[in-house]
Amino acid sequence: MQLEKFHYDNKIVKYFGYATAIWGLVGMTVGLWVAIQFYLPVVSLNFPGTTFGRLRPIHTNAVIFAFVGNCMFTGIYYSLQRLTKARMFNDKLSWIHFWGWQLIIVLAAVTLFFGFTTGKEYAELEWPIDILITLIWVVFGINMFGTILKRREKHLYVAIWFYIATWITVAMLHIVNSFELPFSWIKSYSWYAGVQDALVQWWYGHNAVAFFLTTPILGLMYYFMPKAANRPVYSYRLSIIHFWALIFIYIWAGPHHLLYTALPDWAQSLGMVFSVMLIAPSWGGMLNGLFTLRGAWDKVREEPVLKFFVVAVTCYGMSTFEGPMMSIKSVNAIAHFTDWIIGHVHIGGLGWNGFMAFGMLYYLVPKLWNTELYSKKLATNHFWLGTIGIIMYAIPMYWAGFAQADMWKQFTEEGQLKFTFLETVTNIVPMYITRSIGGLLYLTGAVMMSYNLVKTIKKGSFIGDEEAEAAPLEKKASHGKEYWHSVIERKPVLMLVLSLVVVAIGGLIEIVPTFLVKSNIPTIASVKPYTPLELQGRDIYVREGCYVCHSQMVRPFRDEVVRYGEYSKAGEFVYDHPFQWGSKRTGPDLAREGGKNPDAWHFMHMWDPRQVQEKSIMPRYPWLFKNDINTAITPAKIRAMQTLGVPYAKGYDQIANDDLQKQAKMIAETLKKDDKVKQLAAVSEGVDLQNIENKEIVALISYLQRIGKDIKSAPKTETAIK
Amino acid sequence: MILLNMKRYFSPTVLLKVFLPFVMLFTALAATAQDKTAAAADTAPKTVWTNPVAITMLVIIIFLLIVIAVLASVVTGTAKWQNMQLKNSGAIKTVIGILFLISPALVSAQDAATSSAETSSIAGLTETTFYLLVSVIAIELLVVLLLGLFVMKFLSKQNVYTAQTVAGVAGGAAVAPKLSWWERFNGFRPAEQEANIDLGHDYDGIRELDNKLPGWWLWGFYLTIIVAVVYFYRYEISHAGLSSKQQYELAVKEAEEAQKAYLEKAGNKVDENTVTLLTDAAAISAGKANFEKTCATCHGANAQGNIGPNLTDDYWLHGGSIKDVFKTIKYGWPDKGMQSWKDQYSPMQIAQLASFIKSLHGSNPAGAKEKQGELYKEDGAAPAKDSTAASVTKDTTAAKK
Repeated sequence: MQLEKFHYDNKIVKYFGYATAIWGLVGMTVGLWVAIQFYLPVVSLNFPGTTFGRLRPIHTNAVIFAFVGNCMFTGIYYSLQRLTKARMFNDKLSWIHFWGWQLIIVLAAVTLFFGFTTGKEYAELEWPIDILITLIWVVFGINMFGTILKRREKHLYVAIWFYIATWITVAMLHIVNSFELPFSWIKSYSWYAGVQDALVQWWYGHNAVAFFLTTPILGLMYYFMPKAANRPVYSYRLSIIHFWALIFIYIWAGPHHLLYTALPDWAQSLGMVFSVMLIAPSWGGMLNGLFTLRGAWDKVREEPVLKFFVVAVTCYGMSTFEGPMMSIKSVNAIAHFTDWIIGHVHIGGLGWNGFMAFGMLYYLVPKLWNTELYSKKLATNHFWLGTIGIIMYAIPMYWAGFAQADMWKQFTEEGQLKFTFLETVTNIVPMYITRSIGGLLYLTGAVMMSYNLVKTIKKGSFIGDEEAEAAPLEKKASHGKEYWHSVIERKPVLMLVLSLVVVAIGGLIEIVPTFLVKSNIPTIASVKPYTPLELQGRDIYVREGCYVCHSQMVRPFRDEVVRYGEYSKAGEFVYDHPFQWGSKRTGPDLAREGGKNPDAWHFMHMWDPRQVQEKSIMPRYPWLFKNDINTAITPAKIRAMQTLGVPYAKGYDQIANDDLQKQAKMIAETLKKDDKVKQLAAVSEGVDLQNIENKEIVALISYLQRIGKDIKSAPKTETAIK
Repeated sequence: MILLNMKRYFSPTVLLKVFLPFVMLFTALAATAQDKTAAAADTAPKTVWTNPVAITMLVIIIFLLIVIAVLASVVTGTAKWQNMQLKNSGAIKTVIGILFLISPALVSAQDAATSSAETSSIAGLTETTFYLLVSVIAIELLVVLLLGLFVMKFLSKQNVYTAQTVAGVAGGAAVAPKLSWWERFNGFRPAEQEANIDLGHDYDGIRELDNKLPGWWLWGFYLTIIVAVVYFYRYEISHAGLSSKQQYELAVKEAEEAQKAYLEKAGNKVDENTVTLLTDAAAISAGKANFEKTCATCHGANAQGNIGPNLTDDYWLHGGSIKDVFKTIKYGWPDKGMQSWKDQYSPMQIAQLASFIKSLHGSNPAGAKEKQGELYKEDGAAPAKDSTAASVTKDTTAAKK
């Protein structure tokens, strides 16, 4: 048969590779910056864009979507061409994909910096960017599928199965979770509210980990690991079983982020048991990777690329064992809201994703530039530095998590909480210091890599269009008896459809009943919509990313009920677009904050937390005392809420600002009468009591004073008055 | 024989390298512990350094460390002898580095240990300290075990090696490759048979083997499925397991019983009707400690008033008798921003707090806030009525029930 000659497009791989390295450095640097803020609050610079609540989403978006995203595309654009024996479907689409994705990243960074966020973790980007992501993702899909369809290799290799599942599932997750109602050119409210919003969000959030950080990288592992080790893949059977089991089971596990919350118990149990079942399918990937190295361990000693892969795959195995353990409800009762979670995700992020990316770049750059790596020794040093960095990051975080959870739960024999929240934070500050040193080492390693790669590039010569040849695909159908999976491997569209069916099941079974069956979210008559001022305040709360450090979810535990108040009920959140339950308690829970502290306390505290609590690590928010409340947008916000089903009276949007001003004046009056506030205003430039009713701080105080108040039990107040 | 070998592989420099990190670790620990002891000398906390059990455990720890050091040097020595290039100097530098950098974490552990010194204890030690020591011992035992296994392995290998050499010299029969337990555990095939299970796929040079699924993996998978089904059945279908809400109610009930039993025993039954002014120094200083922890935020460090009113003058918003102050702390005045503290403090603690506050009367601290409320005279009439209704903020939409 005639061999066809064609060229692989290496230029696009090069660009994605550059983007991976650059965004990696940016994302990690921001990570280090926010890590330092934990013990040096002044590093927030008292500037809105550099405060933890805004920088943390920038860090997570940068490392997930910019660093790992570009890493995924680098690997896919390189391996897909070679595994299908075809050039990418369309060069133009490749470049639209590349520049489109970088544009998304830049827009993301800019909008998050200015506080435009949906307030949903890992899905913070606002609606115009969401639309752009959808478009670019479709471009990527067309380009990938086009390549697959015009392939010269009859069967699809396991790496491509993972790419296909990644593409279809991320598309599904992104579209469903991004349902939102715009009320301005850049801002929107989540379509869903409260419990439903939480369920959809964590179905998305968990599977962003699964299908953005795991399945594509497993695909890359299936290509680069056997290539680098020059060993056959250990078990084809294992590939099949663990692939289908993994994508089917993963989807169900989302509710394990919501254990002991107001989510219905049955959904929590589903999330937990599916997480437990996830151990074996995840480990299937690890085993297939590590066993592939059988007979090549001597190479691991010599070859930095394999060193990185081995630790990456081991970290993958560790965190996918740890994850299911943390999903067990009784373990989750300790782990949730603590730094244990942060340690866990960084084993995955730094170990699995980071090391896979590094290994891949060390493999690719010499290949693309047709040369040897500039310094193997430097790469090996990078490997050790990175590994120590991971250990020094993870251990303090685990320790901090256990220690803090233990302190939260301790009671004196007299039945009182033993530690104030702040004491539990002060106690783990040394861990935060150690963690940031670990992060610094890891980042240093990445810098060393960049230097090494630049040097390699300088001595090599880049081949933009690499020559290749292969026989064209035989058209005629295959012969006689064939293994069932082998059939699927020949039919990419069938594979796509099957993947979609498999990943859709779990989501449907969990989400649909939560939306349709009323008993899942019992209504509470006393829960009323927010006043216009409170709504404005809530949007400020979202804008500043308060949810990044403060949960709004009192779990049904003795210690939490004593510390914060009545545990949270599903019916309390029906007007919360978006929900703000949070996932980490760097600061205390705020679900019952309303009425706990006086207005003046909040006023002083937002100006400078350390004037109120000497050892507080919360940043200052001086700009809230300067910015006026944007009342021009109030009617649009009220109308949007009405569309979403919040029962404001008809035509309320027109008079909402009157109510807003009335309430603001009342709070302002209280503040103006307070001696301490007066004293603060006298000595602090930037606190102007004259116009304080127009300032954002008043809106925020009104919201904070409202949270969780609607069902604050009446009997308690009665005892106080008697 | 073993002893002889040990001597041969025993090198002082290796020993030093192994020891150094531990020495550093303990210096750090000791230093922080000393700090704490000095700082809290008058309350005489039971620290690690004054408790016989703790000292015994520390001795065990140090003894085990020595054992580890000896074994480690044997292992590294054996490895060297076998020409295995163990980069042990690098590894040890790494260990030292890690320990050095993690030392802030150790400081904090010590903090936690001393700060929780007041309650639940095991053998006179706090739970945290006790378990910390126990886990250190456990980890050390584990290391000893592992190192022991290594030594055994190296020694047996050496024997095999010798035997083979002898056999080779004598006859020269090939020894058939034997699968290790690890290979059998995973169902590995010998490398020579690999060609038989090659599926013949070739994707850009990547081939695939048709190895069986490792048995332990497959059975593990089945096991998790069974666990999942049983759990879901128990908790969501038969409801034999407790729901989140039931677990909570149970925990509260148990805690309440335990608390009641304790309070009865401790003679802690005080309420706003029976409370009397406490004057003993211990009670006042206990009250002072809790005041600084909680109340100072709003009332100032010297009760001079901050966001909350001045507590040292003659004017009181809610009455100034010991009973009134007790009641105010216990139930709070939520409308005014004073929260209820009965869930955070026991009746006795509230009595101590109230007594401490009363003891500050007339202290006239610097920066005292202007008077609020009504004049209260000791042994005065009924609790003073609230006269400053100005600061009441009513939430317009809050539930009114």
